[in-house]
Amino acid sequence: MTKKRRARTKLQRRLAGLLALAIALLGIGTLYSFLVPEPQTAQAQEDPAVVRQGEQIFNNTCITCHGAHLEGVEGRGPSLVGVGEAAVYFQTSTGRMPAMMQGAQAEEKPPVLSPEEVDAVAAYVQANGGGVTLPEQRGKELRGDNPARGGELFRLNCASCHNFTGRGGALSSGKRAPALDQVTEDQMYAAMLSGPQSMPRFSERQLSPSEKKDIIAYVKSVTDGNNNPGGDSLGGLGPQSEGLIGFIVGMAALIGITLWIGARQ
Amino acid sequence: MSNDETPDETPDKTPQVPSDEELSRMSRDELARLGMKLDGVELVEYPDPWPVKGTRAEKRAERAVALWFTIAGLASLASVVVFIFWPARYVAPGEDGYFLYSLYTPALGVTLGVAILAVGIGVLNYTRKFIPHEIAVQDRHDGGSKELDKKTIVAQFADFGHSSTIARRSMIKRSLAFGGGALGLALTVVPLGAFLRNPHAQSANADGLLHTGWQHVSDEKVFLRRDTGDPSEVVLVKPEDMDAGAMETVFPFRESERNDEKALSHALTRSDNPVMLIRLRPEDAAKVIKHVGQEDFNFGDYYAYTKVCSHLGCPTSLYEQRSNRILCPCHQSQFDALQYARPVFGPATRRLAQLPITVDEETGYFISPHDFIEPVGPAYWERRS
Repeated sequence: MTKKRRARTKLQRRLAGLLALAIALLGIGTLYSFLVPEPQTAQAQEDPAVVRQGEQIFNNTCITCHGAHLEGVEGRGPSLVGVGEAAVYFQTSTGRMPAMMQGAQAEEKPPVLSPEEVDAVAAYVQANGGGVTLPEQRGKELRGDNPARGGELFRLNCASCHNFTGRGGALSSGKRAPALDQVTEDQMYAAMLSGPQSMPRFSERQLSPSEKKDIIAYVKSVTDGNNNPGGDSLGGLGPQSEGLIGFIVGMAALIGITLWIGARQ
Repeated sequence: MSNDETPDETPDKTPQVPSDEELSRMSRDELARLGMKLDGVELVEYPDPWPVKGTRAEKRAERAVALWFTIAGLASLASVVVFIFWPARYVAPGEDGYFLYSLYTPALGVTLGVAILAVGIGVLNYTRKFIPHEIAVQDRHDGGSKELDKKTIVAQFADFGHSSTIARRSMIKRSLAFGGGALGLALTVVPLGAFLRNPHAQSANADGLLHTGWQHVSDEKVFLRRDTGDPSEVVLVKPEDMDAGAMETVFPFRESERNDEKALSHALTRSDNPVMLIRLRPEDAAKVIKHVGQEDFNFGDYYAYTKVCSHLGCPTSLYEQRSNRILCPCHQSQFDALQYARPVFGPATRRLAQLPITVDEETGYFISPHDFIEPVGPAYWERRS
């Protein structure tokens, strides 16, 4: 009898502990959602002060290649008329712009402009050149809830260049499609809208906002090590690296078996 | 060639050749040892693996070997059954019976693999458990054969060729060449010929080499349809859907297929159906050079090219919107979208087939007025390059 009672109390203690943990987590979550301020949303288009600030930054960092009126400079940089804030946001927030030098394509690097400066330049280019705007939502709100459909769409539209788990790949003449690790939801959305560099553009009518969000959800589910069941992923490139390791390990095993067969007792 | 195995520097090892009477009295074991001795082989150790006959261990070992061979036999029979009866006809992903079809090759591989493995393990087991683990010593001379042996053996061969008189009997020679050659031809042609089918048996319809799923089968319009990941969801393409510098893969759609799920999914999976619909940027569209006979194939800035590479049929879906190049990922062929998708780099030598497109006046959606004017994909028998 005592044994049975002790077992019940043990279970009760365990349940109580779990319950306390759940309540504590819930409480912290609620507190967090109250205490954390609303995420900043770019509403700079309407603010003339921000546009003026953007003009100053533009004149300091971008004007050499993109011209005083966004018209571009022959042999240096393309016109920015019609690219919109989405393009500016993508290029500057990933550090591709301002570019270090002319090359096959602008390389990503730690961003030179601060997030406020990025928003200001984007507002300036949007105000003077027009083009595609960023969605109202930001960050995690841009992740859809159907990564499976996102995967289908990713393989249809994106995988040919970015590899089916977003590892990137080679393009012509030294250009390449980048790997999608460490790319934020905003940057992915902006890239799909604006078509940076070699990438085709995907308008909201070609890929609806919910389809884009599902694609982002899929990319997030397979990048940043989320697709790795453990051990070295060997770059996740597919048959090349895995085949090489498979060949080496398999050959070693075969030679071992041959030696074992040939060995005399 | 017993004379080059007789080491003349060790005459004491040459065994005594027994007389006929002795021979008839020798046991099989003694004869075998004598034969090896005559060849200069000395058996140092020749243990019987089962000195006591009929033990349980021996029987167990025998049964184990027999079991492996039985497994091999059963697995082989299973692979024959799989080969004959398993549904091997292609089923596209998502259609009924795809799961069973997708297991066809694995089932063949597993059964055959088990059969070969079991035979191997059985033979290995037999060798290790029942064949005596002998140790034999054989004397060998140093260096190559003696000059005498080399000269005589060459002479023997030459003599054989000469005495057969084949060199001057040209009638026999020719008839032998004819007979042997024809036999070889028959042995190659019969099995290989079974693989050949008339490649033009279906040339008039979409399943042949000349046409694709874009072929008009009746007066019905063929629309351009996008894939949304759900085969039963029909979304057609309008000119205002795409921004300048966009590329989209489109598939044929006919209004009569709207509620036919199988046909809808089939249209998305047919290998010759995918078409790249490209909207050029206006400044690039001004630079376009069109191919003779394809002047009206585009609609404004919209151009449609097959996605099947003209080299080996890979999907050439890497479209660079700045350089307007279409890349094939398999062998790095590049096509210029501004010049009727002609190859500009890589192994491809022929342009990508261009699909004529226009906009349906009734609905405002893209339609294709007719099929490609040339076969898509890699070259074949009558189609060079």
